[in-house]
Amino acid sequence: MWVGLEAEEYDRKYQDKDLLKRIISYFSPYKRAMILVIFFLSISSLTTAFQPIITSIIISNLETSPDLIFILFLILIIFIFNISSWVFNYIRQIYSTRVIGSVVLDIRKDAHKSVVNHDLSFFDKNPIGKIVSRINTDSRDFGETVELSIEVISSVVVLTILIIVMFTVDVVLTFVLLISLPLFFVAAMSFRKFARKMTLLGQRALASVNAYTKESFSGIQIAKTFRREKKVYDDFLQVNNQSYKVNLKRAFLLNAIFPTLGLIQGFVTMLLILMGSILVTEGFVGVGELVLFIQSISLLFFPLLIIASFWPMFQTGMAASERIFAIIDTLPLVIQTNNIKPSKLKGEIEFKNLTFQYDKGRLIFDNFSLKVNPGESIALVGHTGAGKSSIAKLIARFYEFQSGDILVDGKSIREYDLTEYRKHIGIIPQTPFLWADTVENNIKYGDENASMEDVMHALEISGGSEWVKNLPEGLKTNVRERGSLLSMGQRQLVVFARVLLENPSILILDEATASVDPFTETQIQDALEKTIKGRSSIIIAHRLWTVRRVDRIIVLDHGKIMEEGNHEELMKRGGTYANLYNTYFRHQSLEYIEKMGKN
Amino acid sequence: MVFNKKELTAEPVVEFSPGKDPYIKSRKKGATRWILAHLFHGSNKFFIIIIIFTIILSANLSSIIYIIIGQTISALLSGLTALLGNYILSLFILGITGPILRIVSRMLIETLAQRTERDARKEFFTNLLGKSQSFHEQMKIGELMARVTDDVRMLNFLISPALSLIVESFTYLFIPVIYIILYYPFQLIIEPIFFSISFLILLRSYSRKIGPITGRLRGNFGSMTATLSETLSGIEVVKATVQEEKEMKKYYKHAKNYKEAFIERGKLQAKYLPILVLALVITAGFTHSVVLFNNGLMNIGQIIAFLGILGLLRFPTNISMFVFAIFRLAGSSADRLLELMNKKTEINENKEGKEIVFEGNITFENVEFIYPGSKTPVLKDISFEVQAGQTVAIVGTTGSGKTTLTKLISRLYDVSNGRILVDGNDIRDYSLQSLRDQISYIEQDVFLFSTTIFDNISFGRVSSLEQVINVAQQAQVHDFISELPEEYQSKVGERGVQLSGGERQRIAIARAFLSDPRILILDDSTSAIDSNTEDKIQFAIKNILKNRTTILITHRLSQIRWADLILVLKNGEIVAKGNHEELLKTSEEYRKIFVKKFDIEEDQLLKEVRK
Repeated sequence: MWVGLEAEEYDRKYQDKDLLKRIISYFSPYKRAMILVIFFLSISSLTTAFQPIITSIIISNLETSPDLIFILFLILIIFIFNISSWVFNYIRQIYSTRVIGSVVLDIRKDAHKSVVNHDLSFFDKNPIGKIVSRINTDSRDFGETVELSIEVISSVVVLTILIIVMFTVDVVLTFVLLISLPLFFVAAMSFRKFARKMTLLGQRALASVNAYTKESFSGIQIAKTFRREKKVYDDFLQVNNQSYKVNLKRAFLLNAIFPTLGLIQGFVTMLLILMGSILVTEGFVGVGELVLFIQSISLLFFPLLIIASFWPMFQTGMAASERIFAIIDTLPLVIQTNNIKPSKLKGEIEFKNLTFQYDKGRLIFDNFSLKVNPGESIALVGHTGAGKSSIAKLIARFYEFQSGDILVDGKSIREYDLTEYRKHIGIIPQTPFLWADTVENNIKYGDENASMEDVMHALEISGGSEWVKNLPEGLKTNVRERGSLLSMGQRQLVVFARVLLENPSILILDEATASVDPFTETQIQDALEKTIKGRSSIIIAHRLWTVRRVDRIIVLDHGKIMEEGNHEELMKRGGTYANLYNTYFRHQSLEYIEKMGKN
Repeated sequence: MVFNKKELTAEPVVEFSPGKDPYIKSRKKGATRWILAHLFHGSNKFFIIIIIFTIILSANLSSIIYIIIGQTISALLSGLTALLGNYILSLFILGITGPILRIVSRMLIETLAQRTERDARKEFFTNLLGKSQSFHEQMKIGELMARVTDDVRMLNFLISPALSLIVESFTYLFIPVIYIILYYPFQLIIEPIFFSISFLILLRSYSRKIGPITGRLRGNFGSMTATLSETLSGIEVVKATVQEEKEMKKYYKHAKNYKEAFIERGKLQAKYLPILVLALVITAGFTHSVVLFNNGLMNIGQIIAFLGILGLLRFPTNISMFVFAIFRLAGSSADRLLELMNKKTEINENKEGKEIVFEGNITFENVEFIYPGSKTPVLKDISFEVQAGQTVAIVGTTGSGKTTLTKLISRLYDVSNGRILVDGNDIRDYSLQSLRDQISYIEQDVFLFSTTIFDNISFGRVSSLEQVINVAQQAQVHDFISELPEEYQSKVGERGVQLSGGERQRIAIARAFLSDPRILILDDSTSAIDSNTEDKIQFAIKNILKNRTTILITHRLSQIRWADLILVLKNGEIVAKGNHEELLKTSEEYRKIFVKKFDIEEDQLLKEVRK
């Protein structure tokens, strides 16, 4: 239930120095704005810090020899300070949000670009949810840390000025005030330790509420048909109460911290007045000076709070930035060595002594060779793990192979420009993926400028456009997330049309294992026959009828070619294929159906 | 006038209700009323009274501290040291009681907030449980989860910190004025009064702007995340069609929108005027008191105390900048929760309905079904008849209404027009309990609870291990279960107990054997790959069909082949009806399946049928 806290593979440790350098480099395009931010930040802090000092001068003046004109002049200065402090702060904040917004955007852009350009091995290792949270949430946290850092800098400036002035006024009172510092930090830090633990527990409790909700409503139909709502309800009460109890404890703890710090503040105030009274009666300090100290307490309180809460947040922000940079810096494994831009491919594919593995020690191909002639259609058949899909993925350059070579039209695929090369490859994946967009845009996904005629034509070839007309808004129907509005079979037809529109020289088709109703199935079959005509096609076969229609069947087992030939030849031979056919495809034969039907 | 008492108190009919629902009326009256109903529910009222009392008390203490500081200073200046000790002692006492009071009020506020979260979640969850299946089919689980956790949690945040801070702020806005009136020249109340009025005016316009911006910022973050997730889910397509550039632009657009909202919020917060007004008011108050000092109406101690009391206004001023955004967010969260809870549930449980043991004859009479809120019927003019013990196969493309049709029988939905009869009676005349007890439903994508396999099979009934093993054997799944590390006590979903679709399906079949329903609905549109599994499924299904009425949604030609009746559905209508031989003759579409699939010549197929 509580997963995802462990480090991921692309994590790398940066030196703090390098990390800072990297962060600064993101800020450097906004140098001018940053200088303005720092400038206005400093002067607005100065104006804040000087106000209690001026006030104390006024009080001293009132105490000794009231000079009304001078006092009003000082108040006028406070007045001006107040206005300018607000204005400076305003300017500072405008610039700083702009800079932070831009830097966060730049980081997101870089991270996104890097992720999108990774090959598929990256996505095998890193779940999507985590990548998304790195790019979006970590960058946001980083931005918040920068904002907080700016506040801290301003607090530190105010604090320093006040402390310096106070030392010059009276050393004893300053020390009294400063004993609050360690108390303050000790209290804040020790609370944090517990708070962290409780927060984690609280989150877990809420996560179990979440998990329980998911489970309950995923199975709601069963609960309803078996009338077991009461049990679901009772279990929920338990989970919900647990979350209540844990989170209440957490809230109690978190809420105790500020009053506790207030307690320290009250204690220090009392001590200050006690000491101050003695010093005033002894004539060491004036009342005006004592007022400066009293006023400073509340002025110190807030900055201290920020500083005390700063360090862990700063660490969080640094860690967040480190995670994003790690993503940006991970290099893709698929690299092109030249940039040949083919205008048209004939479609001759040759695997030459190929070695390939996804992970170390799990060899998929060892010294594998295969040649596909231009325009030839082949079907790959074999058990799961035989390497069927790997062949397709390697041709598409989704993964990098280790040794040997793959030649397309006589040239190593590494030498082709990746983008141009892929334009000539059409891929129909096992699970059709559609965007939450209209049917039309889904078909046009690879080529935005395609005309309506092109779209209709592609649809027509891929099994007819009649079914599209029956959708609520025809081609303009939004198919929702992943195409959930359409049936599996319909999604496949859309993908066929998408690929046909690209008119690729090489077609790779990973047949769907998901079930499709018999009516759509016949449409898909039609589409397939038309699609493979005139192109080199590689079909990863899971179904009987496709296998029968190709030029050549290749039987794979553990990365080796066991047999090749067409259906009749291989059946006659009675080898692996015949055996496979009998265990895998038999139930799809007419004989089997008739037999099962009659029993 | 005679009131029909029953009508007046009529409560919406739900499928499940564990007890009294105290918030039912307030739900109809909008978010504010609903939240208030929660706030003042039961003992919460007393919490609120104590909370307000402690807040007022601590605002008083804060003011008194400054008065005493002022008096201490006056004493120091005039050399009256006799009272000094008393002053310092009372400062000490106040310094301790203040924070303690605050702790007490914070704890009470938190309890109230957490209770509200708990109760609202319970209410929401219960309400969801009572909703009909048609409601649940339209909901995405992810969305429900977001409501149950995040939106309910917003109500907690609404109370703590938002509402409590606002109560605190307003107390701190007015209590100090009382002390100024009591202890200082009356005219000094001009400054705090002036501030309070202008603060409220400025706050009004600020809070109107900050809410929408915060909402937009949230929304933009959401769509940024949604875009990115979609791109990454379809990364294979992106790469295969070489559209990386396009996806980058798409993301960039959303990220830029987010940045713009972020800057806008920053601007609005930078422009927050109350901070400036307060600074000016304090300066004015300072001047004012100096003038009064000059006229001999105030002493230095009083000036200092007055400044301190004015300083108390900082708290409401600063805090209001952040608090108001929460109102907006909580408001929309409450709206979302209410929207779901107020959705009507269509099924009437009919507790007093008939309870008989079914034979299993099913008749559909001109059944039409329209989804609530939609206009186009999903099913039109469906009529057919099944004798007890027969098997009906329904075939057709997805979206043709197959699944909907089966769900009408167990009243997961109610028909819009026409009627469905079981053993000659309208199904709405039976009690829901009795009807559903005798109908089992095996879905396409079988869901198993994350408990033991034993519990999953016996779900709904008390059974012995022998019984469970017996049904598992009939469902062809016993061998599989025996090989699991803890056999029937293995927990689904745990390491090593990842079940395939076929295995799940057979467990569901075992469950159906155990409940032995008269009517079975089986959505078998899964496809198996290897022949062994396929054989097992076929045998399991064959076994379960015996001696009961079965409605079978299937893609398997073998099952279509053996059905007593085949219904071919297209766009919600029955386009062909009959057994295999009849359909080969009458339906071209049906014929095409066999022709295409097995490379048979159409004429030949027809000839064979005619034989």
